[in-house]
Amino acid sequence: MPAIELRDATVEFSIYNSRSRSIRNDLLRRVGGRIGTEDRDRVTVQALRDVNLRLESGDRVGLIGHNGAGKTTLLRVLSGAYEPSSGAAVIDGRVSSLLDLAMGMDHELTGRQNIVLRGVFLGLTFRQARSLVPEIAEFSELGSYLDVPMRTYSSGMTLRLAFGVSTAVQPDIILLDEMISVGDTAFAEKAKQRIDLLFDRAHILVLASHSMDAVRQYCNRAVLLREGRIVADGPVDDVLREL
Amino acid sequence: MSALSKEMMTSALCDFREGLSNWRIWWLLGIGDIRQRYARSRLGQFWITLSMATFVCAIGSVFALLFDQPIRQFLPYVAANFVVWTLISGLVTDSCTTFIQADTYLRQEPLPKTVFAMRIIVRNLVTFAHNIIIIPIVFIVMGQWPSGTWLLAPFGLMLVLLAGFFTALLLGVLCARFRDLPQIVQNLVQVVFFITPIVWPADIVRGRAGFIVDFNPFAAFLQTVSEPLLGNYPPLSAYLMACGTTVILAAISIPLFARFRARIVYWL
Repeated sequence: MPAIELRDATVEFSIYNSRSRSIRNDLLRRVGGRIGTEDRDRVTVQALRDVNLRLESGDRVGLIGHNGAGKTTLLRVLSGAYEPSSGAAVIDGRVSSLLDLAMGMDHELTGRQNIVLRGVFLGLTFRQARSLVPEIAEFSELGSYLDVPMRTYSSGMTLRLAFGVSTAVQPDIILLDEMISVGDTAFAEKAKQRIDLLFDRAHILVLASHSMDAVRQYCNRAVLLREGRIVADGPVDDVLREL
Repeated sequence: MSALSKEMMTSALCDFREGLSNWRIWWLLGIGDIRQRYARSRLGQFWITLSMATFVCAIGSVFALLFDQPIRQFLPYVAANFVVWTLISGLVTDSCTTFIQADTYLRQEPLPKTVFAMRIIVRNLVTFAHNIIIIPIVFIVMGQWPSGTWLLAPFGLMLVLLAGFFTALLLGVLCARFRDLPQIVQNLVQVVFFITPIVWPADIVRGRAGFIVDFNPFAAFLQTVSEPLLGNYPPLSAYLMACGTTVILAAISIPLFARFRARIVYWL
Protein backbone atom coordinates (compact mmCIF):
# COMPACT_ATOMS: atom_id res chain seq x y z
CA MET A 1 0.00 0.00 0.00
CA PRO A 2 1.32 3.44 -0.87
CA ALA A 3 2.40 5.45 2.15
CA ILE A 4 4.68 8.30 3.10
CA GLU A 5 6.47 8.67 6.37
CA LEU A 6 8.49 11.63 7.53
CA ARG A 7 10.55 11.26 10.67
CA ASP A 8 11.99 14.41 12.23
CA ALA A 9 12.35 15.81 8.75
CA THR A 10 14.10 19.16 8.69
CA VAL A 11 14.79 21.24 5.63
CA GLU A 12 17.44 23.85 6.17
CA PHE A 13 18.51 26.21 3.44
CA SER A 14 21.70 28.16 3.57
CA ILE A 15 21.19 31.47 1.91
CA TYR A 16 24.56 32.57 0.71
CA ASN A 17 24.57 36.22 -0.08
CA SER A 18 26.54 37.38 -3.07
CA ARG A 19 29.60 37.97 -0.95
CA SER A 20 29.92 34.57 0.60
CA ARG A 21 28.59 32.66 -2.37
CA SER A 22 31.83 32.75 -4.25
CA ILE A 23 35.10 30.95 -4.20
CA ARG A 24 36.91 34.17 -3.47
CA ASN A 25 35.22 34.50 -0.13
CA ASP A 26 35.42 30.85 0.67
CA LEU A 27 39.14 30.98 0.08
CA LEU A 28 39.55 34.24 1.95
CA ARG A 29 37.52 32.95 4.83
CA ARG A 30 39.70 29.91 5.23
CA VAL A 31 43.05 31.23 4.27
CA GLY A 32 42.76 34.76 5.52
CA GLY A 33 41.69 33.91 9.03
CA ARG A 34 38.85 35.23 11.07
CA ILE A 35 37.11 38.30 9.83
CA GLY A 36 34.12 38.55 12.07
CA THR A 37 32.29 35.37 12.88
CA GLU A 38 32.42 32.55 10.44
CA ASP A 39 28.74 32.62 9.67
CA ARG A 40 28.47 36.35 9.25
CA ASP A 41 27.47 36.13 5.62
CA ARG A 42 25.48 32.99 5.92
CA VAL A 43 21.86 32.98 6.87
CA THR A 44 20.18 29.69 7.46
CA VAL A 45 16.51 29.35 6.90
CA GLN A 46 14.72 26.44 8.42
CA ALA A 47 11.85 25.86 6.06
CA LEU A 48 10.71 22.75 7.91
CA ARG A 49 11.55 21.74 11.45
CA ASP A 50 11.28 18.24 12.89
CA VAL A 51 8.25 17.26 10.90
CA ASN A 52 6.73 13.91 11.79
CA LEU A 53 4.00 12.85 9.47
CA ARG A 54 2.58 9.56 8.36
CA LEU A 55 0.28 9.43 5.35
CA GLU A 56 -1.57 6.25 4.55
CA SER A 57 -3.89 5.01 1.90
CA GLY A 58 -7.22 6.81 2.13
CA ASP A 59 -5.72 10.02 3.51
CA ARG A 60 -6.96 13.20 1.88
CA VAL A 61 -4.81 15.82 3.53
CA GLY A 62 -5.36 19.55 3.42
CA LEU A 63 -2.15 21.44 4.09
CA ILE A 64 -2.89 24.83 5.55
CA GLY A 65 -0.89 27.71 6.95
CA HIS A 66 0.13 31.25 6.17
CA ASN A 67 2.47 32.25 3.38
CA GLY A 68 5.95 31.00 4.16
CA ALA A 69 4.70 28.43 6.68
CA GLY A 70 6.43 25.68 4.68
CA LYS A 71 3.56 24.22 2.65
CA THR A 72 5.35 24.12 -0.69
CA THR A 73 8.58 22.91 0.88
CA LEU A 74 6.65 20.11 2.56
CA LEU A 75 5.09 19.17 -0.78
CA ARG A 76 8.54 19.02 -2.34
CA VAL A 77 9.77 16.77 0.44
CA LEU A 78 6.73 14.54 -0.03
CA SER A 79 7.48 14.34 -3.76
CA GLY A 80 11.04 13.24 -3.06
CA ALA A 81 12.57 16.22 -4.86
CA TYR A 82 13.95 17.60 -1.60
CA GLU A 83 15.70 15.10 0.57
CA PRO A 84 15.48 16.37 4.16
CA SER A 85 18.74 17.89 5.41
CA SER A 86 18.22 15.89 8.59
CA GLY A 87 15.69 13.24 9.47
CA ALA A 88 14.18 10.84 7.00
CA ALA A 89 11.51 10.68 4.34
CA VAL A 90 10.30 7.30 3.15
CA ILE A 91 8.08 7.50 0.10
CA ASP A 92 6.35 4.40 -1.13
CA GLY A 93 4.23 4.65 -4.26
CA ARG A 94 4.11 6.53 -7.51
CA VAL A 95 3.92 10.24 -6.75
CA SER A 96 2.60 12.85 -9.10
CA SER A 97 3.24 16.44 -8.15
CA LEU A 98 0.97 18.83 -9.92
CA LEU A 99 2.97 21.80 -8.66
CA ASP A 100 4.09 22.96 -12.08
CA LEU A 101 1.82 21.49 -14.73
CA ALA A 102 3.97 22.63 -17.65
CA MET A 103 7.23 21.23 -16.28
CA GLY A 104 9.64 20.19 -19.01
CA MET A 105 7.42 21.22 -21.90
CA ASP A 106 9.33 22.54 -24.87
CA HIS A 107 7.79 25.43 -26.78
CA GLU A 108 9.50 24.51 -30.01
CA LEU A 109 7.98 21.04 -30.02
CA THR A 110 4.48 20.26 -31.23
CA GLY A 111 1.77 19.35 -28.77
CA ARG A 112 2.09 15.73 -29.79
CA GLN A 113 5.86 15.68 -29.21
CA ASN A 114 5.37 17.35 -25.85
CA ILE A 115 2.98 14.61 -24.80
CA VAL A 116 5.66 12.03 -25.62
CA LEU A 117 8.31 14.07 -23.78
CA ARG A 118 6.21 14.28 -20.64
CA GLY A 119 5.25 10.63 -20.92
CA VAL A 120 8.93 9.72 -20.93
CA PHE A 121 9.40 11.72 -17.72
CA LEU A 122 6.75 9.51 -16.17
CA GLY A 123 8.91 6.52 -17.01
CA LEU A 124 6.95 5.36 -20.04
CA THR A 125 8.50 3.94 -23.19
CA PHE A 126 8.13 5.92 -26.42
CA ARG A 127 5.37 3.58 -27.57
CA GLN A 128 3.46 3.85 -24.28
CA ALA A 129 3.87 7.62 -24.33
CA ARG A 130 2.53 7.85 -27.87
CA SER A 131 -0.49 5.80 -26.88
CA LEU A 132 -1.51 8.64 -24.52
CA VAL A 133 -1.95 11.03 -27.43
CA PRO A 134 -5.50 10.17 -28.62
CA GLU A 135 -7.01 10.46 -25.14
CA ILE A 136 -5.24 13.76 -24.38
CA ALA A 137 -6.15 15.09 -27.83
CA GLU A 138 -9.78 14.38 -27.20
CA PHE A 139 -9.74 15.83 -23.72
CA SER A 140 -7.82 19.02 -24.56
CA GLU A 141 -9.89 19.68 -27.71
CA LEU A 142 -6.76 21.01 -29.43
CA GLY A 143 -7.50 19.23 -32.70
CA SER A 144 -5.01 20.05 -35.43
CA TYR A 145 -3.13 22.39 -33.09
CA LEU A 146 -1.57 19.25 -31.67
CA ASP A 147 0.68 19.15 -34.73
CA VAL A 148 2.02 22.70 -34.57
CA PRO A 149 4.72 24.01 -32.20
CA MET A 150 3.50 24.88 -28.73
CA ARG A 151 4.80 28.45 -29.03
CA THR A 152 1.84 29.20 -31.29
CA TYR A 153 -0.60 28.25 -28.53
CA SER A 154 -2.53 30.77 -26.48
CA SER A 155 -1.87 30.52 -22.75
CA GLY A 156 -5.22 28.83 -22.29
CA MET A 157 -4.35 26.22 -24.89
CA THR A 158 -0.98 25.59 -23.30
CA LEU A 159 -2.69 25.10 -19.97
CA ARG A 160 -5.21 22.67 -21.47
CA LEU A 161 -2.41 20.58 -22.88
CA ALA A 162 -0.30 20.77 -19.71
CA PHE A 163 -3.27 19.81 -17.58
CA GLY A 164 -4.20 16.99 -19.96
CA VAL A 165 -0.70 15.49 -19.87
CA SER A 166 -0.23 15.96 -16.16
CA THR A 167 -3.42 14.07 -15.41
CA ALA A 168 -3.15 11.37 -18.07
CA VAL A 169 -1.55 8.71 -15.91
CA GLN A 170 -3.10 7.66 -12.63
CA PRO A 171 -0.65 8.07 -9.71
CA ASP A 172 -0.87 6.54 -6.23
CA ILE A 173 -0.12 9.80 -4.50
CA ILE A 174 -1.15 13.26 -5.71
CA LEU A 175 0.46 16.46 -4.49
CA LEU A 176 -1.20 19.72 -5.33
CA ASP A 177 -0.46 23.35 -4.57
CA GLU A 178 -3.87 25.06 -4.67
CA MET A 179 -6.73 23.64 -6.69
CA ILE A 180 -6.20 23.83 -10.40
CA SER A 181 -8.57 25.87 -12.48
CA VAL A 182 -8.22 25.79 -16.22
CA GLY A 183 -9.89 27.43 -19.13
CA ASP A 184 -13.33 28.70 -19.93
CA THR A 185 -16.47 27.60 -18.10
CA ALA A 186 -17.21 24.56 -20.22
CA PHE A 187 -13.65 23.30 -20.05
CA ALA A 188 -13.30 24.05 -16.35
CA GLU A 189 -16.25 21.71 -15.68
CA LYS A 190 -14.61 19.00 -17.79
CA ALA A 191 -11.30 19.50 -16.01
CA LYS A 192 -13.00 19.29 -12.65
CA GLN A 193 -14.57 15.94 -13.56
CA ARG A 194 -11.21 14.65 -14.69
CA ILE A 195 -9.44 15.72 -11.54
CA ASP A 196 -12.20 14.39 -9.30
CA LEU A 197 -11.81 11.01 -10.94
CA LEU A 198 -8.04 11.19 -10.51
CA PHE A 199 -8.50 12.06 -6.81
CA ASP A 200 -10.96 9.23 -6.26
CA ARG A 201 -8.59 6.65 -7.68
CA ALA A 202 -5.51 7.93 -5.87
CA HIS A 203 -4.53 6.41 -2.54
CA ILE A 204 -3.24 9.61 -1.03
CA LEU A 205 -4.01 13.23 -1.82
CA VAL A 206 -2.19 16.21 -0.36
CA LEU A 207 -3.65 19.60 -1.18
CA ALA A 208 -1.93 22.74 0.01
CA SER A 209 -4.47 25.51 -0.03
CA HIS A 210 -5.54 28.84 1.35
CA SER A 211 -9.10 28.05 0.43
CA MET A 212 -10.85 26.49 3.41
CA ASP A 213 -13.75 25.55 1.16
CA ALA A 214 -11.48 23.47 -1.05
CA VAL A 215 -9.97 21.78 2.00
CA ARG A 216 -13.44 21.01 3.41
CA GLN A 217 -14.58 19.70 0.05
CA TYR A 218 -11.68 17.40 -0.79
CA CYS A 219 -10.01 16.48 2.46
CA ASN A 220 -10.68 14.27 5.44
CA ARG A 221 -7.62 15.36 7.37
CA ALA A 222 -5.89 18.69 7.80
CA VAL A 223 -2.37 19.61 8.78
CA LEU A 224 -1.63 23.10 10.00
CA LEU A 225 1.88 24.43 9.51
CA ARG A 226 3.33 27.40 11.30
CA GLU A 227 6.93 28.51 10.79
CA GLY A 228 7.92 25.14 9.42
CA ARG A 229 6.40 23.07 12.21
CA ILE A 230 3.24 21.03 12.31
CA VAL A 231 1.08 22.65 14.98
CA ALA A 232 -2.11 20.71 14.40
CA ASP A 233 -3.02 17.50 12.64
CA GLY A 234 -6.40 15.83 12.64
CA PRO A 235 -9.95 15.97 11.28
CA VAL A 236 -10.54 19.01 9.09
CA ASP A 237 -13.01 20.84 11.30
CA ASP A 238 -10.89 20.44 14.43
CA VAL A 239 -7.81 21.81 12.74
CA LEU A 240 -9.63 24.70 11.08
CA ARG A 241 -10.76 25.79 14.52
CA GLU A 242 -7.11 26.22 15.51
CA LEU A 243 -6.54 28.83 12.82
CA MET B 1 30.57 19.39 7.22
CA SER B 2 29.83 15.77 7.88
CA ALA B 3 31.65 12.97 6.20
CA LEU B 4 30.69 10.79 3.32
CA SER B 5 28.55 7.97 4.64
CA LYS B 6 27.90 4.56 3.25
CA GLU B 7 24.24 5.39 2.59
CA MET B 8 25.29 8.40 0.54
CA MET B 9 27.48 6.19 -1.62
CA THR B 10 24.66 3.66 -2.04
CA SER B 11 22.15 6.29 -3.11
CA ALA B 12 24.70 7.80 -5.50
CA LEU B 13 25.23 4.42 -7.14
CA CYS B 14 21.48 3.99 -7.29
CA ASP B 15 21.30 7.41 -8.97
CA PHE B 16 23.86 6.26 -11.57
CA ARG B 17 21.94 3.08 -12.29
CA GLU B 18 18.56 4.76 -12.59
CA GLY B 19 19.98 7.72 -14.46
CA LEU B 20 21.51 5.55 -17.11
CA SER B 21 18.43 3.37 -17.47
CA ASN B 22 16.24 6.45 -17.98
CA TRP B 23 17.98 6.97 -21.32
CA ARG B 24 14.82 8.21 -23.01
CA ILE B 25 14.77 11.32 -20.84
CA TRP B 26 18.35 12.38 -21.44
CA TRP B 27 18.16 11.50 -25.08
CA LEU B 28 15.11 13.73 -25.63
CA LEU B 29 16.52 16.54 -23.48
CA GLY B 30 19.88 16.44 -25.27
CA ILE B 31 18.48 16.59 -28.78
CA GLY B 32 15.86 19.09 -27.61
CA ASP B 33 18.68 21.45 -26.57
CA ILE B 34 20.12 21.37 -30.08
CA ARG B 35 16.72 21.77 -31.68
CA GLN B 36 15.90 24.77 -29.49
CA ARG B 37 19.16 26.51 -30.30
CA TYR B 38 18.52 26.36 -34.05
CA ALA B 39 14.74 26.50 -34.02
CA ARG B 40 13.10 28.34 -36.88
CA SER B 41 16.30 28.88 -38.83
CA ARG B 42 16.25 27.58 -42.36
CA LEU B 43 19.45 25.57 -42.15
CA GLY B 44 18.59 24.47 -38.63
CA GLN B 45 21.27 22.47 -36.85
CA PHE B 46 23.43 22.46 -40.00
CA TRP B 47 24.53 25.89 -38.92
CA ILE B 48 26.78 23.93 -36.59
CA THR B 49 28.50 22.33 -39.58
CA LEU B 50 28.59 25.52 -41.56
CA SER B 51 30.13 27.69 -38.85
CA MET B 52 32.70 25.01 -38.16
CA ALA B 53 33.59 24.82 -41.87
CA THR B 54 33.98 28.61 -42.05
CA PHE B 55 36.21 28.72 -39.01
CA VAL B 56 38.39 25.82 -40.12
CA CYS B 57 38.92 27.28 -43.60
CA ALA B 58 39.74 30.76 -42.30
CA ILE B 59 42.05 29.73 -39.45
CA GLY B 60 43.54 26.89 -41.49
CA SER B 61 44.60 29.10 -44.37
CA VAL B 62 45.84 32.02 -42.26
CA PHE B 63 47.81 29.88 -39.82
CA ALA B 64 49.27 27.80 -42.65
CA LEU B 65 50.80 31.05 -43.88
CA LEU B 66 51.86 32.19 -40.40
CA PHE B 67 53.58 28.94 -39.51
CA ASP B 68 54.79 28.38 -43.05
CA GLN B 69 53.04 25.01 -43.36
CA PRO B 70 51.88 23.25 -46.55
CA ILE B 71 48.13 23.88 -46.68
CA ARG B 72 47.35 20.41 -48.03
CA GLN B 73 48.44 18.89 -44.73
CA PHE B 74 47.70 21.79 -42.46
CA LEU B 75 44.03 22.29 -43.29
CA PRO B 76 43.13 18.65 -42.49
CA TYR B 77 45.21 19.01 -39.31
CA VAL B 78 43.27 22.07 -38.15
CA ALA B 79 39.95 20.52 -39.20
CA ALA B 80 40.46 17.31 -37.20
CA ASN B 81 41.86 19.16 -34.18
CA PHE B 82 39.27 21.86 -34.06
CA VAL B 83 36.33 19.47 -34.43
CA VAL B 84 37.61 17.40 -31.51
CA TRP B 85 38.50 20.49 -29.48
CA THR B 86 34.94 21.80 -29.92
CA LEU B 87 33.67 18.57 -28.40
CA ILE B 88 36.08 18.77 -25.45
CA SER B 89 35.53 22.46 -24.73
CA GLY B 90 31.76 22.07 -25.15
CA LEU B 91 31.73 19.28 -22.60
CA VAL B 92 33.71 21.35 -20.11
CA THR B 93 31.74 24.59 -20.42
CA ASP B 94 28.35 22.85 -20.52
CA SER B 95 29.32 20.89 -17.41
CA CYS B 96 29.02 24.10 -15.41
CA THR B 97 25.28 24.27 -16.00
CA THR B 98 24.51 20.55 -15.58
CA PHE B 99 22.29 21.15 -12.54
CA ILE B 100 21.78 24.93 -12.66
CA GLN B 101 19.94 24.49 -15.94
CA ALA B 102 17.85 21.61 -14.59
CA ASP B 103 16.35 23.54 -11.67
CA THR B 104 12.72 23.29 -12.78
CA TYR B 105 12.98 19.50 -13.03
CA LEU B 106 14.99 18.98 -9.89
CA ARG B 107 12.71 21.08 -7.71
CA GLN B 108 9.61 19.16 -8.70
CA GLU B 109 10.56 15.56 -9.41
CA PRO B 110 12.88 13.08 -7.71
CA LEU B 111 14.66 12.41 -11.01
CA PRO B 112 18.08 10.75 -10.90
CA LYS B 113 20.62 13.56 -11.17
CA THR B 114 22.86 11.55 -13.47
CA VAL B 115 20.21 12.10 -16.15
CA PHE B 116 21.37 15.69 -16.48
CA ALA B 117 25.03 14.75 -16.83
CA MET B 118 24.09 12.40 -19.64
CA ARG B 119 22.09 15.17 -21.26
CA ILE B 120 25.33 17.18 -21.56
CA ILE B 121 27.01 14.20 -23.22
CA VAL B 122 24.17 13.74 -25.73
CA ARG B 123 24.02 17.45 -26.55
CA ASN B 124 27.74 17.62 -27.31
CA LEU B 125 27.80 14.32 -29.13
CA VAL B 126 25.05 15.53 -31.47
CA THR B 127 27.06 18.68 -32.19
CA PHE B 128 30.14 16.54 -32.78
CA ALA B 129 28.21 14.36 -35.24
CA HIS B 130 27.38 17.48 -37.24
CA ASN B 131 30.95 18.73 -37.18
CA ILE B 132 32.62 15.47 -38.10
CA ILE B 133 31.01 15.71 -41.57
CA ILE B 134 33.51 18.33 -42.64
CA ILE B 135 36.54 16.12 -41.96
CA PRO B 136 36.09 13.76 -44.94
CA ILE B 137 35.20 16.77 -47.10
CA VAL B 138 38.40 18.61 -46.18
CA PHE B 139 40.40 15.42 -46.70
CA ILE B 140 38.98 14.84 -50.16
CA VAL B 141 39.37 18.47 -51.25
CA MET B 142 42.99 18.49 -50.04
CA GLY B 143 43.68 15.16 -51.73
CA GLN B 144 44.44 13.29 -48.49
CA TRP B 145 43.22 9.74 -48.07
CA PRO B 146 42.12 8.22 -44.80
CA SER B 147 44.27 5.49 -43.34
CA GLY B 148 43.35 2.49 -41.21
CA THR B 149 44.37 4.33 -38.06
CA TRP B 150 40.99 6.03 -37.85
CA LEU B 151 39.70 2.79 -36.36
CA LEU B 152 41.42 3.96 -33.16
CA ALA B 153 39.41 7.19 -33.04
CA PRO B 154 36.24 5.69 -31.47
CA PHE B 155 38.34 4.45 -28.56
CA GLY B 156 39.67 7.96 -27.97
CA LEU B 157 36.15 9.29 -28.28
CA MET B 158 34.97 6.91 -25.56
CA LEU B 159 37.70 8.25 -23.27
CA VAL B 160 36.67 11.84 -23.97
CA LEU B 161 33.01 11.08 -23.27
CA LEU B 162 33.77 9.15 -20.09
CA ALA B 163 35.93 11.98 -18.80
CA GLY B 164 33.18 14.38 -19.90
CA PHE B 165 30.62 12.50 -17.82
CA PHE B 166 32.72 12.80 -14.67
CA THR B 167 33.45 16.45 -15.45
CA ALA B 168 29.71 17.10 -15.77
CA LEU B 169 29.19 15.68 -12.28
CA LEU B 170 32.19 17.47 -10.79
CA LEU B 171 31.69 20.91 -12.30
CA GLY B 172 27.92 20.49 -12.13
CA VAL B 173 28.01 20.17 -8.34
CA LEU B 174 30.70 22.81 -7.78
CA CYS B 175 29.15 25.38 -10.10
CA ALA B 176 25.71 24.98 -8.52
CA ARG B 177 27.27 25.96 -5.21
CA PHE B 178 29.86 28.52 -6.36
CA ARG B 179 28.32 30.73 -8.99
CA ASP B 180 31.60 32.41 -9.94
CA LEU B 181 33.03 29.15 -11.11
CA PRO B 182 31.30 29.06 -14.53
CA GLN B 183 33.02 32.34 -15.45
CA ILE B 184 36.38 31.05 -14.24
CA VAL B 185 35.97 27.83 -16.22
CA GLN B 186 35.02 29.73 -19.35
CA ASN B 187 38.13 31.85 -19.12
CA LEU B 188 40.36 28.87 -18.49
CA VAL B 189 38.94 27.03 -21.49
CA GLN B 190 39.79 30.02 -23.66
CA VAL B 191 43.35 30.01 -22.36
CA VAL B 192 43.65 26.27 -22.88
CA PHE B 193 42.64 26.73 -26.51
CA PHE B 194 45.77 28.79 -27.08
CA ILE B 195 48.21 26.64 -25.14
CA THR B 196 47.04 23.39 -26.73
CA PRO B 197 48.30 22.43 -30.20
CA ILE B 198 45.00 22.83 -32.00
CA VAL B 199 45.60 25.51 -34.61
CA TRP B 200 49.38 25.38 -34.37
CA PRO B 201 51.63 22.38 -35.02
CA ALA B 202 52.92 20.68 -31.86
CA ASP B 203 56.43 20.48 -33.33
CA ILE B 204 57.07 24.21 -33.14
CA VAL B 205 57.36 24.13 -29.34
CA ARG B 206 59.53 21.02 -29.23
CA GLY B 207 62.81 21.69 -27.47
CA ARG B 208 61.65 25.08 -26.20
CA ALA B 209 58.41 24.55 -24.35
CA GLY B 210 57.51 20.95 -25.06
CA PHE B 211 56.04 20.60 -21.58
CA ILE B 212 52.93 22.57 -22.54
CA VAL B 213 52.10 19.74 -24.90
CA ASP B 214 53.48 16.81 -22.91
CA PHE B 215 51.86 17.69 -19.59
CA ASN B 216 48.63 19.01 -21.01
CA PRO B 217 45.74 16.59 -20.44
CA PHE B 218 43.65 18.47 -23.00
CA ALA B 219 46.32 17.82 -25.62
CA ALA B 220 46.33 14.15 -24.63
CA PHE B 221 42.57 13.76 -25.05
CA LEU B 222 42.76 15.70 -28.30
CA GLN B 223 45.47 13.44 -29.69
CA THR B 224 43.63 10.21 -28.88
CA VAL B 225 40.87 11.24 -31.28
CA SER B 226 42.41 13.56 -33.85
CA GLU B 227 45.70 11.77 -34.53
CA PRO B 228 43.99 8.56 -35.73
CA LEU B 229 41.79 10.67 -38.02
CA LEU B 230 44.95 12.22 -39.49
CA GLY B 231 46.49 8.83 -40.20
CA ASN B 232 48.87 8.73 -37.22
CA TYR B 233 49.06 6.53 -34.16
CA PRO B 234 48.61 8.62 -31.02
CA PRO B 235 51.65 8.35 -28.73
CA LEU B 236 51.32 5.92 -25.85
CA SER B 237 51.93 8.80 -23.46
CA ALA B 238 48.72 10.45 -24.70
CA TYR B 239 46.70 7.34 -23.88
CA LEU B 240 48.33 7.06 -20.47
CA MET B 241 47.64 10.68 -19.62
CA ALA B 242 44.04 10.54 -20.91
CA CYS B 243 43.30 7.36 -18.96
CA GLY B 244 45.05 8.74 -15.87
CA THR B 245 43.07 11.98 -16.04
CA THR B 246 39.82 10.04 -16.42
CA VAL B 247 40.63 7.93 -13.35
CA ILE B 248 41.46 11.05 -11.32
CA LEU B 249 38.26 12.76 -12.42
CA ALA B 250 36.27 9.67 -11.41
CA ALA B 251 38.06 9.47 -8.07
CA ILE B 252 37.18 13.08 -7.26
CA SER B 253 33.76 13.43 -8.84
CA ILE B 254 32.09 10.25 -7.55
CA PRO B 255 32.68 10.90 -3.82
CA LEU B 256 31.88 14.60 -4.27
CA PHE B 257 28.65 13.78 -6.07
CA ALA B 258 27.73 11.16 -3.46
CA ARG B 259 28.35 13.62 -0.62
CA PHE B 260 26.42 16.56 -2.07
CA ARG B 261 23.87 14.87 -4.36
CA ALA B 262 20.98 15.57 -1.99
CA ARG B 263 22.13 19.16 -1.37
CA ILE B 264 22.26 20.22 -5.01
CA VAL B 265 18.58 21.05 -5.16
CA TYR B 266 18.93 23.35 -2.13
CA TRP B 267 21.49 25.43 -4.00
CA LEU B 268 19.39 26.01 -7.10
